Amino acid sequence: MSALLELRGISHSFRGLQVLRNVNLRVEQGAICGLIGPNGAGKSTLFNIASGFLPADAGQVVYAGVEVTRHSVERRSYAGLVRTFQTPQVFAHLTVWENLMAGCYKLTSSGLLGNLVGTPGSRRELAAMRATAERVCREFKLDAVRDVLAGKLPGGMQRLLELARACVAAPRLLCLDEPSAGLNSEEVAQLMQALQRLQQSGMTILLVSHDMDLVAVASVIHVLCFGEIIAAGSFAEVRADARVREAYLGV
Amino acid sequence: MAEPALAAATGLRAGVTHGRVWALGAVLAVLWVCMPALASRSIVDMLVFTALYTIAGLGVSFLLGQCGIVSLAQSVFYGIGAYSSAYCATHFGWPMPAGLLIGIGLSATIAAVVGWPVLRLSGYFLALATLALAIIAHVLFTEWDGITGGTLGVGGIPPISLFGFALNSPARFYFLVWPIAILLLWLHYNLLHSRTGFAVRAMRDAPAAARVLGVDIHALKVKVFVLSAVLGALAGSLFAHYVSFVSVDSFGVDRAINFLLLAVLGGSRTLAGPILGALFITMTPHLLGRFGDIHALLFAVLLIVSVIFLPQGFGGVAAQLWQRASGRKLEPKP
Repeated sequence: MSALLELRGISHSFRGLQVLRNVNLRVEQGAICGLIGPNGAGKSTLFNIASGFLPADAGQVVYAGVEVTRHSVERRSYAGLVRTFQTPQVFAHLTVWENLMAGCYKLTSSGLLGNLVGTPGSRRELAAMRATAERVCREFKLDAVRDVLAGKLPGGMQRLLELARACVAAPRLLCLDEPSAGLNSEEVAQLMQALQRLQQSGMTILLVSHDMDLVAVASVIHVLCFGEIIAAGSFAEVRADARVREAYLGV
Repeated sequence: MAEPALAAATGLRAGVTHGRVWALGAVLAVLWVCMPALASRSIVDMLVFTALYTIAGLGVSFLLGQCGIVSLAQSVFYGIGAYSSAYCATHFGWPMPAGLLIGIGLSATIAAVVGWPVLRLSGYFLALATLALAIIAHVLFTEWDGITGGTLGVGGIPPISLFGFALNSPARFYFLVWPIAILLLWLHYNLLHSRTGFAVRAMRDAPAAARVLGVDIHALKVKVFVLSAVLGALAGSLFAHYVSFVSVDSFGVDRAINFLLLAVLGGSRTLAGPILGALFITMTPHLLGRFGDIHALLFAVLLIVSVIFLPQGFGGVAAQLWQRASGRKLEPKP
């Protein structure tokens, strides 16, 4: 298998505090890859560097064989790298349905003037956006809340909406930051099913989570501790690793 | 059009019957046509200003409500539009469209050049930067008296002629400026329910998430700022041809504040907001004038009361009343 995302020798520090030290990580094409680690391990920093929100002090981010270290978030998004956030970032004053419509942005290309006048092309595009939003709305069982303002949804639903919206944007690599935080056990089970379904559809997923049950869906798990990858392997291998047990599982 | 999308932009929820919309539309259209014949010249004059302010205020309202940008710079573009038209018409004798296009081009260029760095700011800092623009422009309008006539202004601007018919009275101009305002509101509606419209609202609510979806938020902010400037210039150009005399007094910071005020009072997230806000700021001072010298104080009190009790603006209230009339429950908009 080839790597869809490769982080090579990533280092980062905040005001002299080294947060990441020479981190190497590969996300294989079509796989679900987990990234776990205790609080303050540098997971979010690594995630921000991978998605373009933070420049690395050193190292390279290679996505689909292209070095994207200096590419903007938007450019990476157009290449298919889409992420969610630890705190769900829904468009609070838009309805669920409109959030999904907004997710279609990079699948469409009409300009501002065409949109103003409502050219036939712009209208066709809108119809296509609607069809995509409709399909994803059904897939994620959001039909019942489609007209509810996203900001009024409970936390778990906001997370689901954010995931659905990310899927509208047709990602090749979906990076999920703590997707199970705030979900009840039933919702976590739904989320796991959704992730497996997405993987089967050909999507590659990078999962950052505290939740060991959820991370079990990943074929490879990387363990980050104090800015360094201390173990990588299958769920069973990682669980058996003495350093991981000591550092993360507290056993 | 997707009704939820319509709902978010207009404050109307789904389910309003088409019959009622048409009925209300017909009543308003008849009222609109009859107004110049029924109302006094001064009222019609104020209604012309209402439409002019609706056009300029629409730009500010769009920036404020849909993009989350507080702009106090609309007086700059209003002034550029007015002076371009005045100068082209009086110095070169060019027809109205020439001055209008030059004003729009100049405004768009300046908005793009100034907006590129300034729109990297946000919140109060951005508001203050646009206020600075308004102050600088006012000084320049005063100082460049070769073009603007300084404090003396530029007079003798010819009225607009359509098919040899001079629009030289409030009643005639009324029938030009209102259709333009309505057309622009329609374009605004189109924009809101398009790819760009969803992107700007996404950018307003969660910029980081919008970037993840591929929205270049800085470029988009500059585009909408330019669009808003074009509306300001158009209103300014029409204003110049309507009043036939422009002076620097019309393009001060107080005008910029007025435009922002109408956006806030009208309800910047509602379609009718700019019209209602413009009606308020043109009509209310006139109505309060009957109370004598105390009218400015009364106006201030009315402003405070409106802002406190109608946080969603007049447009928000209108939408709620409409919903109640149509028997639908309105979900409060945040």
